[in-house]
Amino acid sequence: MRPGIGEPGAAAALDDETLVARARDGDTRAYEQLVRRYQGPMYRLALRMLAGSGEAEDVVQEVFLTVWRRLDQLQDDSAFVGWLYRSTTNRCLNVLRARRPVADVDPDTTATRRVEAQPESAAELNDQVAALLKALAQLTPEQRACWLLREVHGRSYEEIARIVRGSTTAVRGRIARARAQLAEVMRPWR
Amino acid sequence: MALNQPEADYELPCGRSLDGLWERLDAVERGRADEHELTCPHCSTALRGLGELRAATGTLRAERPRPARDLTARIMAAVRAEPRAPRAMLPVDAGRPGRTEVSDRAVAAVVRFAVDAIDGVRARRCVVRATGADEDGTTVVEGRLAVTVTYGADLSRLLTVVRRRAAAACTARVGVRLAALDIDVADVDER
Repeated sequence: MRPGIGEPGAAAALDDETLVARARDGDTRAYEQLVRRYQGPMYRLALRMLAGSGEAEDVVQEVFLTVWRRLDQLQDDSAFVGWLYRSTTNRCLNVLRARRPVADVDPDTTATRRVEAQPESAAELNDQVAALLKALAQLTPEQRACWLLREVHGRSYEEIARIVRGSTTAVRGRIARARAQLAEVMRPWR
Repeated sequence: MALNQPEADYELPCGRSLDGLWERLDAVERGRADEHELTCPHCSTALRGLGELRAATGTLRAERPRPARDLTARIMAAVRAEPRAPRAMLPVDAGRPGRTEVSDRAVAAVVRFAVDAIDGVRARRCVVRATGADEDGTTVVEGRLAVTVTYGADLSRLLTVVRRRAAAACTARVGVRLAALDIDVADVDER
């Protein structure tokens, strides 16, 4: 069984499956524990996908509300976290698709402005990470999703393939391309 | 290197692949670069980029930007405002004037709380439905409960206790009679 991870102050460390089963019965307190446990990683994924904290919070809120509505459709309680990742990834991709016409006008400055819009970028990030975030913004949304899920969130290739509904070969290819592109941008740094 | 990796897309002019270099990064950073890696300008440039990328990724992974403090509250307010499927209402104290009803979910919650108080068991899903009434008018219910148990526990003794406590809680706290409780042991806790 996995104890509560991440967020400090999480109440009694019930395992995910127990909480999911209770939430399905309509137990909102059990669901709240799941929210506290996983809103952090989902927020960070959305933040890096969208490079905007306000939109990222909106995504996280919609994800947890939709998942609550559809808990009955979850066949396997242990698949809950994978479901959250899939839902968050897809919602981010939808937000980015809706944004695209704006980005097409001038992709370079648009991307840069978005990176700078992050409240943390000035004080908290070191230059190396700032360079990485800037490089990330140049990837296609699908590449960025695959790379983040693998390299930052530690999901397996198989799991990422399920999340983005592709083959593991395609996922490996996307991550390899992303890595090549990121390394290329990172090289002249320092 | 794994043999079943797909063919690398990114070949350097020297013939080595970027994927291959990525996997060699540990060895190289520990000073175990091979002759070619030490002298080839393509490889050393690529390795530098990959090294920077890996270091930056590590820092990024360690960063924990947090959402606004009230995000949980906002999410839960939206969740609680959601209309839920209509509940089945069970009559309680049917013989008395004035009607009292309790939802099947409320009874299920009482059962879960009672079972959680027992050492070595943890309630998961609980579904309760009414099957009729006693001769004295008490509502009779049946339930199905999923539990996890601690490894090494005496299962038959434990399940007897679960049934007894669940039935007692239904009688004392709700006023319905739990005539039968099916128990599924869904998992074993290792601690």
